[in-house]
Amino acid sequence: MKKKIIALVLAMLIAALTFALAGCGTKENEDTTGVSGETAPARTSFTMGIDPEYPPFSYLDKNGEYTGFDVEVCKAVCDYLGWEFKIFAVNWDEKLVQLDSMECDCVWSGMTILDSMKEAGYVISRPYFDNEQVLVVKDDSEFNSSKDLAGKAVAVQLGTSGESLLNGDLKDLAATFGEVVTANSFTTCFTELAGNAVDAVFVDVPVADDYISKNDGFRIIDEDFGAEQYGIAFRSGDEDLCAQVEAALDAIIENGTYAKIVEKYPDIAGNLLLTK
Amino acid sequence: MTLMTMVVKMASGLEKTCAIFFLTLLFALPLGMAVAMMRGSKIKIISGIAGFFISILRGTPLMLQLIAVTYGPYYLFGVSVSRNKLIPVVVAFAINYAAYFAEIYRGGIESMPVGQYEAAQVLGYSKLQTFVKIILPQVIRRILPSMTNEIVTLVKDTSMAFTVSYQEMFTIGKQIANSETSFVPFLVAGVFYYVFNAVVSFAMRRVEKAMSYYKM
Repeated sequence: MKKKIIALVLAMLIAALTFALAGCGTKENEDTTGVSGETAPARTSFTMGIDPEYPPFSYLDKNGEYTGFDVEVCKAVCDYLGWEFKIFAVNWDEKLVQLDSMECDCVWSGMTILDSMKEAGYVISRPYFDNEQVLVVKDDSEFNSSKDLAGKAVAVQLGTSGESLLNGDLKDLAATFGEVVTANSFTTCFTELAGNAVDAVFVDVPVADDYISKNDGFRIIDEDFGAEQYGIAFRSGDEDLCAQVEAALDAIIENGTYAKIVEKYPDIAGNLLLTK
Repeated sequence: MTLMTMVVKMASGLEKTCAIFFLTLLFALPLGMAVAMMRGSKIKIISGIAGFFISILRGTPLMLQLIAVTYGPYYLFGVSVSRNKLIPVVVAFAINYAAYFAEIYRGGIESMPVGQYEAAQVLGYSKLQTFVKIILPQVIRRILPSMTNEIVTLVKDTSMAFTVSYQEMFTIGKQIANSETSFVPFLVAGVFYYVFNAVVSFAMRRVEKAMSYYKM
């Protein structure tokens, strides 16, 4: 009896291992299907992966519908290409895993292009927005530069380029902070700031502008932390899809649809890269 | 980043995971007993309050309770959010787990045959003596398997503290997964939780063995 149980357990372990190894191999498999994907049936729908809490690029409007600059542009692209437009709200810190697992066809939501994404094989579109990171503090605080924040707590959203910066290029600056608090959404970051749990929030400038225009009592510290750009991420092997979307973007810029959407978002218009 | 640095970085967050785990047990075990006693009270109001406490805490998600305890005071009264997140996290975990523990205790207490109380009364035991010396030791022995279940769940639930930006092990794992665009930290986290729970299960089995003194 005992022997049988041991044999059974061993068999299960082997099965689990094989499964795990097969899982490790999926990346290569995906690549090959991507290449042979040309013979696949024509695309009829397109699922856009967004951070649902990232105004003005992607957020829930007053009627409970997803909207924002990126959402409207993607919808226009889908209309142009005759695809059914679908939205999938990702967990920002797991966006690439969710992209890989086919839950969405792209991540398009104020996403900063990072070298690590390209190294990992993701297909990234042309940049469409010039971004920078800023520190937001309370209006009545005495902080006027990042030096004033030495020993203080700074919140940053997990999975954002701000977080990558604090772990990478701005490592030395981050080391002077008392604590870097990573939160799961930028709303949480601002709640922490409003509730005095942190002293500053490190966030993308359009998001900061949008938040400050809607909420009183905050200001941006005037300091440059280096430029970065937004792009759209596709799965590795989806070069064709990326090219199709980029071509459609060119077309809606040409026919004026894009400019109409830009008009609705005057705050970010100055930093947009794709214009006629 | 090598696997080793990854493991070391995540292990640094394990300390905070352990803090949630042990402090929650420290507060929830006695609090649960208090709630169970209230629930069994003959005074309707007291048992009603305990019943309401249990129904709210079992009927709403722990994640919601974490947010309510951490940010609720700020939104309702303008009180500053605690800088030391461990405090609201442990409060939320302790009241949530106390509700579950209370029901386990109650089940154990109610499973004791009435004859034991009668026998104790005949032998001249007071009500308190009967409970502490006769009922409680048997209750503890009887509820251990269900308690192990809850405690094992607690180990895994600690990862929910991320909801209120508490930097425990899983949060650090997510950070690494992000910056490295890698799935490995999740595997490491899985191993950490599994080993943690293996230790907990082993300890609970030892306790069960030590308590089984009536068995021949």
